[in-house]
Amino acid sequence: MATTPQLSVPDQIRQLQDARKLVLSDVSYYPQVIQATLPIIGPSAQVEFRRWGAEFLSEAFATPAVPLGQKETLSLLVLETLKLLVEDPNQDVVVLRSVIQTAASVYPLALRWIINNAYDTTTWDRMTVIKTRILRIWETAPPTVRICCIKFAQRVVLAQTPSVNPEPRRGDPLDISLLMIPPNHTVLEVPSLEAEASGLLDRMLGVLQDNSSDALIVDATLNTLSILIRARPGTSNRILNAILNFNPLKLASGPMTPKIKVIVRSMEKTTRMLLTHLSRRDSRNPHVGRIHQYLERLMQARAEVFDGASRKRAHVEQDGLDAKRQRMAALPQEFQIPPMAAGPHSLADVFSLTSNEGLKTFDVSVVPAALAAKISVTTIARIDPKLLDRVLNGVRDRLTALYQVAQQADNPETASLDVEDDDDYEPDYYAAEDNEQILNKLDSSEPSSSNRELQKPAVLSNFALPTFKLPPPPALNPDQAAVVGQGTVTRVFGVMSTLDEPASKKTKAGINRLAASSYDKDSWLTIITRLATRAPAGLNDVSVKDEHNSASASRINMSNSIRESLYAYVLDDFRKRIDIAVSWLNEEWYNDRVQQIAASDSARDVPLHYDKWALRMLDGFLPYLHAQDRVLTRFLSEIPDLNAAILGRVKTLCRDPTLVSLALNSLLYLVMMRPPVRNLALDAVQDIWKEYDEARPMAGKYLTKWRPGFLEAQQQLENGGGTPTGPQTVAAV
Amino acid sequence: MDVANGASVAAAAPPAQNGERDEAGGYKLKFCTVCASNQNRSMEAHLQLSKANYPVISFGTGSLVRLPGPSITQPNVYQFNKTSYDSMFKELREKDEDLYTRNGLLNMLNRNRGVKWGPERWQDWQVGIPRLEHTSDRGYDGTEGGVADVVFTCEERCWDAVVDDLHNRGAPLNRPVHVINVDIKDNHEEALVGGRGILDLADSLNKAAKEEREAAGSAAFDIGSATSRASFDERVPEIVGEWQERWPNLPATWTLAWF
Repeated sequence: MATTPQLSVPDQIRQLQDARKLVLSDVSYYPQVIQATLPIIGPSAQVEFRRWGAEFLSEAFATPAVPLGQKETLSLLVLETLKLLVEDPNQDVVVLRSVIQTAASVYPLALRWIINNAYDTTTWDRMTVIKTRILRIWETAPPTVRICCIKFAQRVVLAQTPSVNPEPRRGDPLDISLLMIPPNHTVLEVPSLEAEASGLLDRMLGVLQDNSSDALIVDATLNTLSILIRARPGTSNRILNAILNFNPLKLASGPMTPKIKVIVRSMEKTTRMLLTHLSRRDSRNPHVGRIHQYLERLMQARAEVFDGASRKRAHVEQDGLDAKRQRMAALPQEFQIPPMAAGPHSLADVFSLTSNEGLKTFDVSVVPAALAAKISVTTIARIDPKLLDRVLNGVRDRLTALYQVAQQADNPETASLDVEDDDDYEPDYYAAEDNEQILNKLDSSEPSSSNRELQKPAVLSNFALPTFKLPPPPALNPDQAAVVGQGTVTRVFGVMSTLDEPASKKTKAGINRLAASSYDKDSWLTIITRLATRAPAGLNDVSVKDEHNSASASRINMSNSIRESLYAYVLDDFRKRIDIAVSWLNEEWYNDRVQQIAASDSARDVPLHYDKWALRMLDGFLPYLHAQDRVLTRFLSEIPDLNAAILGRVKTLCRDPTLVSLALNSLLYLVMMRPPVRNLALDAVQDIWKEYDEARPMAGKYLTKWRPGFLEAQQQLENGGGTPTGPQTVAAV
Repeated sequence: MDVANGASVAAAAPPAQNGERDEAGGYKLKFCTVCASNQNRSMEAHLQLSKANYPVISFGTGSLVRLPGPSITQPNVYQFNKTSYDSMFKELREKDEDLYTRNGLLNMLNRNRGVKWGPERWQDWQVGIPRLEHTSDRGYDGTEGGVADVVFTCEERCWDAVVDDLHNRGAPLNRPVHVINVDIKDNHEEALVGGRGILDLADSLNKAAKEEREAAGSAAFDIGSATSRASFDERVPEIVGEWQERWPNLPATWTLAWF
């Protein structure tokens, strides 16, 4: 398309626009398109093409859509063109602007390239020429170009000072820094680059040090500084000092034309925003105190400059139809209570209703007390009670307004510096929904600008009510704690009894199951059993050592009382709840083991609970068993540990002949299914055989099978003059 | 007070402000309008600027899109970038057609759904990422590059949020942007007045930008002679000041920031 001279300029521009749309839709075309367009947009091209081309290049190197690596490669293509464009002393301002913007984006890329490709001095030389040229025209160029020079200088400073991140974050052009340059680099010398950056920073800050009134330059400078202060700690002291010595309101002392008003307001607000932003981003910065002081002074000075204007505006706005206005209209008009102006207020300010400056500064304390009293009494006696009411209400309203402002400052991070009420609008600092709703209220209540002026930090610092803290509740004594704890346990059992039984058998989750993952009955039971067994574990044994410690004694009571409750709960309906007993006893057994292991190091004794509660449980339901119950078999087979004492209780069942088969079958089940306790169980059967005549036939049958030789031995024993009963009975049956 | 606003400009400004302005060729600044929820003020301004054939995009700086509900404590809350004006319109019409017709919400949403798909959040905007998927938005032509020359905010706190956000981003694009606040109360009538004010300011700014570009040729600044004509950027404070005289009830704040 470069070689179609018959096309008109607009037509060619249109073609170029199409090429641009192509790369916008797919950035991988940038290399081809840039290469194809460079000849068209070169230094000798018509101004329209140069403008389009420079703008196109600045867009290509600015867009985050193109990865940094690709931009680095592209930068090699364009440097020569950029150099020629920027060197032309008659270059068009619009072109120059875009070229310098492009150079600012390219500079860190070129630096990275030469860091990694030290041989390519040609490229770096081109970049250096561009840099030199830009820095040379910086002072003489028209403001619109100068701001771009400032931005370019900022990127050079950024690239040639050490970053706050020791490891540069890949893909972030703002993180290309001095740290990336190896000390032995053949082309780049770290100290001289750093010195250059330092000099450039000084030049940038010069505009603040000179207290310039060129708002465009000042704003453009201020708005480039945040990233330097935050990401290049080496620069932050110098920059902050320059800002804090800058007076954006200098112009305000002269006559205020509309343009000057805009300029003063702009510089003041821009300075304030930058400082607010900095102290909020880094509230631990050692400069924060100075920043706050500066901001307060600035607010005061600003209030003085703009007071008249804003007060006028406030009155104008009150001419609207809001409710406040209507109330005001109903009041007698001869005396106005002015709304509080911006800035900090002393208590005296709140009570000052006169606008006479002389009166305001009059120190009443110099008047003798007696005279003051006399004057006050006479005045109050004569004053129109309506007027007195009105001024009292006025002061009260002021205090209420200030109080509300203090109430709204609920974020301590921003409250101290919250120079505008608006800051809470920034969602990054507030996530809570109720804040949203407060904002909604604020939105719909349309605060007048005078209200808004009141919501200032200076006000807060003077008028925030001291925080009221409720005294902490008295500490519970151990007895109370135990009672309350017991109450809690009772409530959990209460909740549990209201829950439905699990409708159907749940599928087993296997090894992935959790102890209590829902709020069903099973989960509550797991929690309770663990509360009883594990929660006070380790505390109990202390109390064993120290029996005089009543506090630990009550803790023992606590876990034991949970056990009692559990015990009672299971016994209430033991046939259904036997699995609860089993899981509880499993927990007890496990906890005993853990405690024993833990105590084994220090050779302490630990109280064991399993045996005691297993026996109690058994004792609890044995009397209620009948011949068809399977619960005993189940219980015995599922509890984790059996001992002679437990089986001894089973033996006693045989006193009731109807339960003999139940007892013996349960034992037989153990013999068959729990080999580790087989001998223990057979011993029990043996004892039954010996002790209960009615049980002998059945017991003998089992013993013949499982302990061959026992009966014969008994026989022989008896024949040899042992116990006389057994054989006869067998014979009789 | 509306009478005072823009009274003196009535003659100077192009009269066809209710309808589409005739396609005027030449250079166009790219505008961006911002309010809290990208619903009322920024969208009214978006519409008016697009009717005047300016490239324009718009955003909200709030965390969520908040619309009035049946009471102060029951606002209608939506996510930015996720809910379309159309679906909000349909939802509210479903909820209480009478109420939302009376308070003007349906009318507003109906207008908005004719302008673009849905509210966008400023903080989520990736400046400089092409916006090719927005072709059906009003004022799309010229915004495909995903940048703007001038950002108009409609409320001081939105201006603060925008400037603070630009600080946070660290100005990676090296592109200057004028951020101008025009304080507009958040109701339908004021939004209309404010939109006209913004359009008037946009016209003045664009005129200056156009003049700058028409003064083609050499800057010739570094060979001695001072430039005869001031550039667009440096004329902005003056233009804003003159505009403020015409629109005394729309207090303005300006700064030159960086994308």
